[in-house]
Amino acid sequence: MSKPTPLGFGLGLRPVYYRDILETKPNVDWFEIITENYLVPGGRPLAMLERVRAEYPIVMHGVSMSLASTDPLDFDYLKALKRLADRFQPQWISDHLCWTGVHGVNLHDLLPVPYTLEALSHVVDRIKRVQDFLGRRIAIENASTYVTFRESEMDEWTFVREMAERADCWLLLDVNNVFVSGFNHGFDQQQFIEAIPAERVIQLHLAGHSDAGTHKIDTHDQPICDEVWSLYESACRRFGKVSTMIERDDNFPPFCELLAELDRARSIFGASTLAQEGVAACP
Amino acid sequence: MSLAELQGKFQAGILSEDQIVPDSIADSKKTDAATLFSVYHSAYRLRLAEFLSNDYPILRNYLGDETFGALVEEYIASAPSHVRSARWYGGRLPGFMKDSARLRDDVQAIDLARFERALADVFDAADGPQLPVNALAQIPVESWPNIAFEFHPSFVLLELAVGTAARYEATSNEEWPPGIGQGDECVLFWRSDNQSSYRVVAPDERLALIEALKGQKFSDICSLLAFHGAGEDVTHRVAGFLAQWFTEGLVARLSSFD
Repeated sequence: MSKPTPLGFGLGLRPVYYRDILETKPNVDWFEIITENYLVPGGRPLAMLERVRAEYPIVMHGVSMSLASTDPLDFDYLKALKRLADRFQPQWISDHLCWTGVHGVNLHDLLPVPYTLEALSHVVDRIKRVQDFLGRRIAIENASTYVTFRESEMDEWTFVREMAERADCWLLLDVNNVFVSGFNHGFDQQQFIEAIPAERVIQLHLAGHSDAGTHKIDTHDQPICDEVWSLYESACRRFGKVSTMIERDDNFPPFCELLAELDRARSIFGASTLAQEGVAACP
Repeated sequence: MSLAELQGKFQAGILSEDQIVPDSIADSKKTDAATLFSVYHSAYRLRLAEFLSNDYPILRNYLGDETFGALVEEYIASAPSHVRSARWYGGRLPGFMKDSARLRDDVQAIDLARFERALADVFDAADGPQLPVNALAQIPVESWPNIAFEFHPSFVLLELAVGTAARYEATSNEEWPPGIGQGDECVLFWRSDNQSSYRVVAPDERLALIEALKGQKFSDICSLLAFHGAGEDVTHRVAGFLAQWFTEGLVARLSSFD
């Protein structure tokens, strides 16, 4: 099992930044798209993506696979996703450990999964079927969650590890989501990082969140906070050379601010790698 | 409880106006289950309302925040979303307004909604060829009577209350909007240079567009316009329409009845 080649440090491709990207060709190694924004018949979104793709590698990140839903898999969606992937040749395709609705309803949210054996078996089966259909491994992201189900039979990290190994899929570890969920559910975020199988992780997400006092909400509308940077440092030490990407979906700052955050990620990764090499070099 | 039952109850709780918190959810050490579940319950409504506000900014301006907010609440409560993408969620809004006891007589509001919906649909309609004006020049004049046209996939023609386009434009430019009058105006929507475009078309061009859309050839379009009393210089008038359609990128293909 060999991981895809690491892409370096990327940003989310958002329409508000098209001009900055196309006119200045910034020092960004790759871009991640929200798949659904480009599942359209034609027009500007696809035209802009063509231009960006000509200059940068891309990764497709979806929010509609609804892998944990008890509704049937949406093969119309998967066919459209496959066509988009055939056209734009992403380095990989990812989605979330979540569900988005049942009975044909779409709640347009990444809804939480009870960590039960039944849910594990259900999700694993669906990831396998999606991978078979797409003809490639996909990467699954841990979502931020706000509620705990009484039915849960295991920790989130146990569920994620088992899911990845049984489904033979990649993992996209969202460091901010680990932090947010850890705060909300009172688990040790470091323990989460340590429990994730390093050989499965091909990408890291960084983002900002909002603080509601008793809980934190994954809003992607703030700069990355110091605690998440600190957790990212741990993730770099644990997972080594893995593609990193910063998500920003609202309250958009000037593009240069995102570039500065990306530089900080590069510095943290560089320092952690040097430290690791230093340790390894010691007799 | 099975996964299917748990998801059914969770979804029902989100869709319930009063936020029925599923029994499955436990309190956290810091707060209660209702507060935590409200993150999902509120986010559902806020997200859908944001989709509608993004799609209908001028309608919102016309109705005012309070009336628009009430419309949005009614729309969200009327039926859950069954669409995959946020882009399509607001597609039913003009039809919903026509069925609304409060808004069905407000033709101005309904037509502003239809106008903004058309702009959104045109924006990411399918791609297609956009023939340049010299494509017409390459056709011998003697063949013109027998040519027919296929329009770009983004092409939309709507009958709207007179003044709808002017009101949209004025409001977009933060100018005082004119009133919307009695009667209809015909507005053509299409995409050019990856942007949604529109313009009001005169009655004779409207007729020509409708006939061309049906696949009628140039000579038949001229005959029909002459029948409708478009004046003696019908051929030149229609040729002028053609030149404009090409310039605007409306024509995707030409075919000949030769």
